[in-house]
Amino acid sequence: MQVREREATNSSTQLPAPVFVARGLTKVYGSGVSQVIALKDVNLDIRQGEFIVLLGPSGSGKSTLLNILGGLDAPTSGTATWRDHELTGASDEELTTYRREHVGLVFQFYNLIPSLTVEENVRLVAQIASDPMKPTEALELVGLSHRAGRFPSQLSGGEQQRVAVARAIVKRPDILLCDEPTGALDVDTGRLVLAAIAKVNAELNTTTVVITHNSAIAGMADRVLRLSGGRIVKEEPNPKRIRAEDVAW
Amino acid sequence: MVNVLDIKVLRELWSMRLQVLSIALLVAAGVAVFVMSLSNYLALVGAMEAHYRNERFAEVFASLTRAPLAVVDRIREVDGVGVVESRVSEPLRVIREDTNLPISGRVISLPASGQPLLNRLHLVQGRWPDPLRPDEVIVNVAYAEARAVRPGDTIDVVLNGRLQDFHMVGSALSPEFVFATRAAVPLPDDRNFVVLWANEDAVISAFDMEGAFNDVSMTLAPGASMPHVLEEVDRLLAPYGSTGAYDRSDQLSHRFLEDELAEQETLSIVMPSVFFGIAAFLLNVVTGRMVEAQRGQIASLKALGFGNRTIVFHYFKLVSAIALLGTAIGLALGRWFASGVVGAYRSFFRFPLLEAQIEPWLIVGAMVVSVAAANLAAASAVYRIATLAPAEAMRPGTPPALGTFGWLQTVGSKRIPLQYVMAARSVLGRPVRTLLTTVGIALAIPLVLFGLYWFDAIDYMIDVSFGRIERGDAFLTFTEPVSADALYELQSIPGVLKAELQRVVPIRLRAGHRTYRTSATGLESGSELKIPRDRSLRPIAVPSDGIMLSRTIARQLDLNLNDNVTIEVLEGNRTVRDVAVRKISDDILGATVTMERTALNRLLREGNMSNVAALRIDLRQSDLLWSRIKLMPKVEGSSVKALWLALFNETIGGLVLIGALILSGFGILIAIGVIYNSARVALQERAWELASLRIVGLTRREVTAVIFSELAVELVVAVPAGLLIGWYLIKLIASARASESFQIPAVIDPSSYAIASILVVGAAVASFMMIRRRIDKLDLVAVLKTRD
Repeated sequence: MQVREREATNSSTQLPAPVFVARGLTKVYGSGVSQVIALKDVNLDIRQGEFIVLLGPSGSGKSTLLNILGGLDAPTSGTATWRDHELTGASDEELTTYRREHVGLVFQFYNLIPSLTVEENVRLVAQIASDPMKPTEALELVGLSHRAGRFPSQLSGGEQQRVAVARAIVKRPDILLCDEPTGALDVDTGRLVLAAIAKVNAELNTTTVVITHNSAIAGMADRVLRLSGGRIVKEEPNPKRIRAEDVAW
Repeated sequence: MVNVLDIKVLRELWSMRLQVLSIALLVAAGVAVFVMSLSNYLALVGAMEAHYRNERFAEVFASLTRAPLAVVDRIREVDGVGVVESRVSEPLRVIREDTNLPISGRVISLPASGQPLLNRLHLVQGRWPDPLRPDEVIVNVAYAEARAVRPGDTIDVVLNGRLQDFHMVGSALSPEFVFATRAAVPLPDDRNFVVLWANEDAVISAFDMEGAFNDVSMTLAPGASMPHVLEEVDRLLAPYGSTGAYDRSDQLSHRFLEDELAEQETLSIVMPSVFFGIAAFLLNVVTGRMVEAQRGQIASLKALGFGNRTIVFHYFKLVSAIALLGTAIGLALGRWFASGVVGAYRSFFRFPLLEAQIEPWLIVGAMVVSVAAANLAAASAVYRIATLAPAEAMRPGTPPALGTFGWLQTVGSKRIPLQYVMAARSVLGRPVRTLLTTVGIALAIPLVLFGLYWFDAIDYMIDVSFGRIERGDAFLTFTEPVSADALYELQSIPGVLKAELQRVVPIRLRAGHRTYRTSATGLESGSELKIPRDRSLRPIAVPSDGIMLSRTIARQLDLNLNDNVTIEVLEGNRTVRDVAVRKISDDILGATVTMERTALNRLLREGNMSNVAALRIDLRQSDLLWSRIKLMPKVEGSSVKALWLALFNETIGGLVLIGALILSGFGILIAIGVIYNSARVALQERAWELASLRIVGLTRREVTAVIFSELAVELVVAVPAGLLIGWYLIKLIASARASESFQIPAVIDPSSYAIASILVVGAAVASFMMIRRRIDKLDLVAVLKTRD
């Protein structure tokens, strides 16, 4: 990965310097008639420890943005930089290293490995990380240490999603990216998952980005970005963060 | 309007084209081997039957010293005898300036009318002899080709001790000499054995046979009894020095041909059937898994309201299309190889017309078996999935609720990287699937081994026959028995390192009502140039009195140790004597009667006589040696081991090479088909899981390790199992073909095991490399949008 030699300071505000900087991010799928523009000239700064919620309808480009942030996809043009790592134009190996060292990912469908137990799913990531916490510790954080020996198929959806959160945080990621983490869950279960994510954000100071089309979750964020048609159409700081337990939808 | 499901069939065939192709090639390999081998075998049998029928090959034969022509009329009167024809057939020697090796053969009289009634000639080149020209002859095609003689050439022939010039006017094939050879020599050698057909007058005058004959052939009338005819003909000819009437099974060329055909039967029917059977089984496994992997689609179709029958039929079309594509490729390949192989047969099997033909029933049969095998597992898999409730079917069928296998949680240790734990659980959690894949890979090994085995078997047979049993470098046959002085004469020839005399005499063994026609071999005591051996290749000591019998003969005649058996000598004074069976041997050559030479001489009431010599020679002096032997008038013919082996390698060796390469090549194709498909389906089923691993940060190499270690485990089990199965199948096939003559031994060289293993592991690695490209290209983003 290219290392940019630049001073990561921003003297014009009192806020900490951004850890993630995107400039003119554009993502185009296909070509010609079937061309779909998923992201259009997106500029974005994300600061250390920030809890950001990306809101928007289906097709607004929020998953594409998250995938680019997570090193799962590459933009068609523009630049994306995480600290001194240039993500644009990085090779597959470089992106894999980026994901394994810095990024924790949580998805709508959990993406747990069915043939591994809860503890093993978490340990799978711990074994490839440089400074992981103990798998049991991660499970404790999401309140699932009593389920460590079960297989995913023996858990409820909410429990599976909390395992996914534990798996994402066990490596002490610098950035936690969650794509519709409550999309497949009911309200009560969803709250438990959100609480786990908020706890990680608060206790480990992990920069957190959550995608949702559920505006109720926005109340938990430091900042809410609204996407539409591939652009960030609105940016709303949220000085009064609510607790996950108080989210209602 | 085109059915949308049919469009789905076509699109899927295209999108899975590599998988479709590998399955089709698996089918093609099975079909090609089967069709090629069977059509070749049928072509041989058909060509033999046509030749025998068209050229009216006789059914009963007898040779004698000399009988008046009036005896022919008496034979004709025997109940059951059809057409009878007598002739004069005598030994000859050919002199050629370009060789010192004795060339022996036979001259056979042609009736004045031209074509004989029986054992007619199929003229290949030239014309018939002019009845008014006693010096014109027809030559057998095998010799003409081997020595490059053409119509118009002169042949110097020694007949009855007199040198005569003959003019070749044509070459012909005869059903009597499909394999031209002479008794007492195990090696048919086209270069040194010739058959000349000459005008009756010329032969009769050369041998003073006016009003007489010494050879007779006949056919049987419909419904005739063969034993009765043989007995009556024997009775009539006994006073004239007959060596005994015999049927086709004792006719030299036919017997040799039958042995060859029996070997071909193993090569052409038994082995390809096993091959095709295994291919069909593997096809079954592969298509079953392919359909299993479409579980989600089947469930969706079902949920949309398609009936079970429609869905099963839809998959029947998909699977049958693949099977038929493979069958078509297989038929084309089979036909192509068949005509090539038959071309190679032509120089070995001398038939007027030998053409590979693919019978319509063979085409239909291959199609039916392929389609049935392909659909057997596929249809049952479709049906099993289709009969589930759609909601249940839409859930992934695998893994089977792993939590229920509590013990699986104990598999794995904290020290083992989890991708290997995943692989181990996948292997152990689906034991049936693992077993089928492992068996599939294992069965590919015998297919490769079958081809290699033929090399080993032939090498072994040559080593045993000509390295350990017949240890002489050259063999001589004499026109008549010679005394022991011949030994000193031979030993005095420069270049002869060792000489041994043998007495070989045609006999009939009789025990009660059972008879067996063969020849008895009398060996010097402590013979070094011919050593009978048992199946473990240990030398067998020949008893000093009585006879030693092969177990196969003893069994046929129901004889035990120390029983008496009657020996009827079928030449000379036709002695009939009772002798004791002193040893029953499990000799590797199958069916022999062996005695000490002096014991055989006593039985024949003759002195110290012999008619075959085995020589160990100094090859550096062979020119001088053969020029001296050429001057010995009593030497009828010779065989040189080295020349024969070279000839063997050119003909049979070539045939075996082609057959073995084809079998092994197709075996490898099948191995690739099975392994590629197993890995491909494994990947298809687990793409989601593997992509998830990539997403959480595992590298391509780490993810590849999951699938690779599964395959590695299957290979580690499959390869030894496959070698064991191969060994067992070959043993089974070899013992199924245990005949009287040389048995095809179940010997497999360690190098063949190694080669088969390396080739199959290589096929696995190649398949895996193709799969690896797909792992590298897993679509990580797509995986996030779908639930498994």
